[in-house]
Amino acid sequence: MGTVLNDPYEILGVAPTASAEDIQKAYRKLAKKLHPDLNPGNAEAEEKFKEIASAYGLVGDAEKRKRFDSGEIDATGAERPPQHYYKDYAFSEQDHPYADNSGFADFMDSEDAFGELLRRSARAQANRRGHDLEFRLPIEFIESIAGANKRLTLPDGSTLDVAIPPGLTEGQVLRLRGKGAPGSGKGDFGDALIEVEIKPDRLFTRQGDDIYLELPVTLTEAVLGARIKVPTPTGAVTMAVPKGTNTGTTLRLRGKGAPRHAGGYGDQLVKLKVVLPKEPDPELEAFVSNWEGGKTYNPREEVTP
Amino acid sequence: MKISREEFLSLSGMEGETLNAWIEDEWLIPSGSTVELSFSEIDIARARLIRELRVDFGVNDEAVGVILNLVDQLYGMRRTLRELRQEVWTTTEQG
Repeated sequence: MGTVLNDPYEILGVAPTASAEDIQKAYRKLAKKLHPDLNPGNAEAEEKFKEIASAYGLVGDAEKRKRFDSGEIDATGAERPPQHYYKDYAFSEQDHPYADNSGFADFMDSEDAFGELLRRSARAQANRRGHDLEFRLPIEFIESIAGANKRLTLPDGSTLDVAIPPGLTEGQVLRLRGKGAPGSGKGDFGDALIEVEIKPDRLFTRQGDDIYLELPVTLTEAVLGARIKVPTPTGAVTMAVPKGTNTGTTLRLRGKGAPRHAGGYGDQLVKLKVVLPKEPDPELEAFVSNWEGGKTYNPREEVTP
Repeated sequence: MKISREEFLSLSGMEGETLNAWIEDEWLIPSGSTVELSFSEIDIARARLIRELRVDFGVNDEAVGVILNLVDQLYGMRRTLRELRQEVWTTTEQG
């Protein structure tokens, strides 16, 4: 829409020298004709109303008009955020206290085919299915892998039990049949749609069906090999660290990843990181200073300029 | 969404006395008990329409009631027209 570039005076149909009263008069005249709530179904009127409303928002305000006339601000500043009109609610399918069918009640009572059609439609409306309700549910990473039973508290204070299936992915939507808004008459309940949001985990990340974990090991475990306990989302397992393991070595725990859609499980990939003791150790220092091998190998061969 | 009287006043920028008068005239029909009124989005949008009619259009209070009545009948007919369209489609498809 090129509306922002247009001259607000031109839009309102007044001269740039017009008095404040004339501008208000011109706006009121146009607004009465074009107000969206008084012209439902007329998209063109709504577009035009937006134009005149932003034009009036600019030059209908003495302060803003002064700044606009001096070139300090342009018409862009007058753009209004989109807002909901009365018509958006009054014409929605939801029942509301202002609904009024008296304007055609006489047609409804007539004995002809049209009256019959109206009555049938009213009966269909009377047994309408309820609306779907949408909710967001944050869960822990571990719950997304292993599954969980969660309880959601709704805005009205009631609760909803949600079974999280194992292996759920971010943004997945769960549909709980019949847990939405009540229908009217004999209409069914709508569904509850629950969008699941997985909180980031301190330890684990997920790529596809595989789970990644970085795991620190001691120097001794790395050099000599060891059997160590490794956390997985479904509980700790024992893993063999081979002799001579290095930082960056990645080990695969088969079947310890997320459940696959097609059945089976992904893997957990454990990336090891050799970590020295927190406090300097005199014995280790003494050993390393006497260790000839440590002075001859070059781990930076490939990064040396 | 349920909106309390206090929230409604701050959202709509209305005075409490004006609100009482509008409810008295049934321009607004909040739900809930007389002790604790409960408003929804449609009430906010309707209050805005009423304010625009009175302030921007210079409509007097007598005419506001007339306009609201006609507007509500218009929307009642539009809703029914949409339902009828649905009904006609269903009938045609089954026909």
